Amino acid sequence: MALNKKLAFFFLLPASAVYLLFFVLPAVWAIFIGFFDWSGFNNDMRFIGIDNYVQLIDDQVFIISLKNTLLILVIGAAIIFPLTFTLSSMINSGIRGKRLFRAMIFLPNVVATIALTTLWNFIYNTNFGLLRSFLQVLGLEKLSRTLWTAPENIFWAMLVGVIWINIGFQLILILAGMDKIPSEFFEAAKIEGAGQIKTFFLITLPLMWDVVTVSVVIWTISALKLFEFPFAFIGIYPPLQVHTLSIYLYIMGFGKRDPIYRLGYASAIGVILLLIVVITFLAIRRIMRREVYQY
Amino acid sequence: MKIKPLVIIILTALLFVTACTPAPAEQPANTSNQSETTVKEEKVEIVYWSVWTEPEPQAQVIAKWIEKFEAENPNITIKAVWNGRENQTKIRNAMTSGTTIDLMDLDADIVAGGLLMEGFGYPIDDLLTMTALDENVPLQDVFLPGMFDLHKVDGKVYLWPYVYNTIQFWYSGAAFDKAGVEKVPETWEEFIDAGLKLKEAGYDAIAMESTHVDFPMHFYTYLVERMKGTGFLLSAIEDKTGEMWRDPVFLEALKMERQMWETGIIPDEARGYVWPQGQQTLAVGQSAMELTGSWTPTELANSTPEDFGWGGFQFPAIEGGEGSINDLNAWLMSFMIMKDTKHPEQIKEFLRFIMTEENQKMMADEALVGVTRKNVDWSPVLADGQAAATNANEIFMHADGATAFHPEYYKNVLTFHHQPAFVGDISPEEFIENMVADSLKYWKTHDR
Repeated sequence: MALNKKLAFFFLLPASAVYLLFFVLPAVWAIFIGFFDWSGFNNDMRFIGIDNYVQLIDDQVFIISLKNTLLILVIGAAIIFPLTFTLSSMINSGIRGKRLFRAMIFLPNVVATIALTTLWNFIYNTNFGLLRSFLQVLGLEKLSRTLWTAPENIFWAMLVGVIWINIGFQLILILAGMDKIPSEFFEAAKIEGAGQIKTFFLITLPLMWDVVTVSVVIWTISALKLFEFPFAFIGIYPPLQVHTLSIYLYIMGFGKRDPIYRLGYASAIGVILLLIVVITFLAIRRIMRREVYQY
Repeated sequence: MKIKPLVIIILTALLFVTACTPAPAEQPANTSNQSETTVKEEKVEIVYWSVWTEPEPQAQVIAKWIEKFEAENPNITIKAVWNGRENQTKIRNAMTSGTTIDLMDLDADIVAGGLLMEGFGYPIDDLLTMTALDENVPLQDVFLPGMFDLHKVDGKVYLWPYVYNTIQFWYSGAAFDKAGVEKVPETWEEFIDAGLKLKEAGYDAIAMESTHVDFPMHFYTYLVERMKGTGFLLSAIEDKTGEMWRDPVFLEALKMERQMWETGIIPDEARGYVWPQGQQTLAVGQSAMELTGSWTPTELANSTPEDFGWGGFQFPAIEGGEGSINDLNAWLMSFMIMKDTKHPEQIKEFLRFIMTEENQKMMADEALVGVTRKNVDWSPVLADGQAAATNANEIFMHADGATAFHPEYYKNVLTFHHQPAFVGDISPEEFIENMVADSLKYWKTHDR
């Protein structure tokens, strides 16, 4: 037994070293350089204390990026989870082609993000886009002329694409959670006269609460660090309306088009993002803590 | 004493990490005092990191240049790394890990604001006075006007431009003919008139990439320049009180931009155009012209019909303005020798080599771009761009140099407020008040 424990240390060492090298140390280093004014071109790091963080408070672009990120998190969750549960219930209702539907809904998760953004750009194209043509066919001429990518609409247009991609992934998790609930519970509920809504809230949800918690955590982290879709959605340079914290961090630290190379400032944004993720994660764990039913 | 297992794991992992950390690379000595004999004989490898990706025609031409140069100089090998547009960021990251890079290229404004600003350029003033390889004149005399005026640092030249992109109105001759616009507009009034004629003929007069901040900024850059000459916009940007934004010219420029929307010569639906949707409307004959770079006709070459009739004209003059219609916004792709290279003289020989008429003609013909050498014909669709470059009274940078000298101000103040003002989400007066307030706030916490 003691030998097994000792062997375990040595087997854990390589993975621990990799984790330390590629995750922990860079995170600690990022926190460190957040206290410096540094371009990254040389070793000339000027200590400025908390000036980067003070500047963030007044930075309009940071505020907008933070607002966008939180909107994606909250509104995305408000749409994704009800939709996912609805789709899961429909798929689990005994329809034919369950696997086909599941595969179709999951498909966006296996396609490269750049391809998906190209697709959505085509859908929203104000001249010959799919959405415009579809609405015209339905006779909704006025709605078809909506400028989906105008400044007042572009965030919501982007959010639809993000939700569409993430529903598939969440669906797989929720379906797996539903599938593990023994059918006897549903049969018993049916015998007792419980309707679909009561069954969902009193049986399905409590019995798969652990899976729901995992889904919520995964969505939260994914939403807070969202980068690829909004970044690629608008081609060469994302407009302010689709900035997320990750996008702003990248622009400020890595010279995207404009030669802005403020690694210290970008690191400070990263630290704020890390804090938001940790606080949100702890809050979710606290809010969603409840008795786990064994069956 | 029992040492906790976790401590053992962490200590061992730290030891592993330390062992893996590379030693900092030795900074090579600057060996610029090389004799010509040494340049010709010494076997060297030059590492060149490029802004182009390998499939791009510009990269293929450069690869041919390298092949020819190596054939003529068998002691010199040039190893090209085709990085793409993130070249400067990749170079920064590589330098911190000790990678040696001898030569790089990029949009001149971007290099000026990055590597050059940080002191990584190698001065090449002596190269300007060296004799051209194919003509008995100093090298600087083979260049088009103004090529070395914009990006000097402390009076020294660091950038070697080789691709010339002009920012002009690029238009469909067929559309202009159909609308009865008989000559290209030379004044703002003529420009609005032409736009209205095009609109009446059923065209969207101007194609507009509204969601991309640089395209609206082309208008603002030119309008301010035409009214007050080069340097005025930059002065306002650098005014730490912000009060210079109250100069009437800045309000007037915004009002002139709004005039294009209010008269309908920029169609309302352009508010939602996502690049490259604007230029696509030009290609399919929906729009008639676009204020954009001379790369656009090349990009759209396969999308436009044969009778498209590409043409370019200068941004119109403004009556009473200090800027000339021949002042030109130029975007130059430039080489820069890296400061710590061991082979500056060999690289200078390469830069001298690429400026021969034959090599410049290769770039113009095969990559279909403008070049910086005089008397080398650009492709026929870019003829008006070449004329503008040849006759340029003065050339200036995008946003009067804001992207190079004050990139964070450009992003977080200037375009932050200009974009909503351009599309009409805030009034011109609000734009001015915002610029005054935010400039003051910006300069309290920034020194660049």
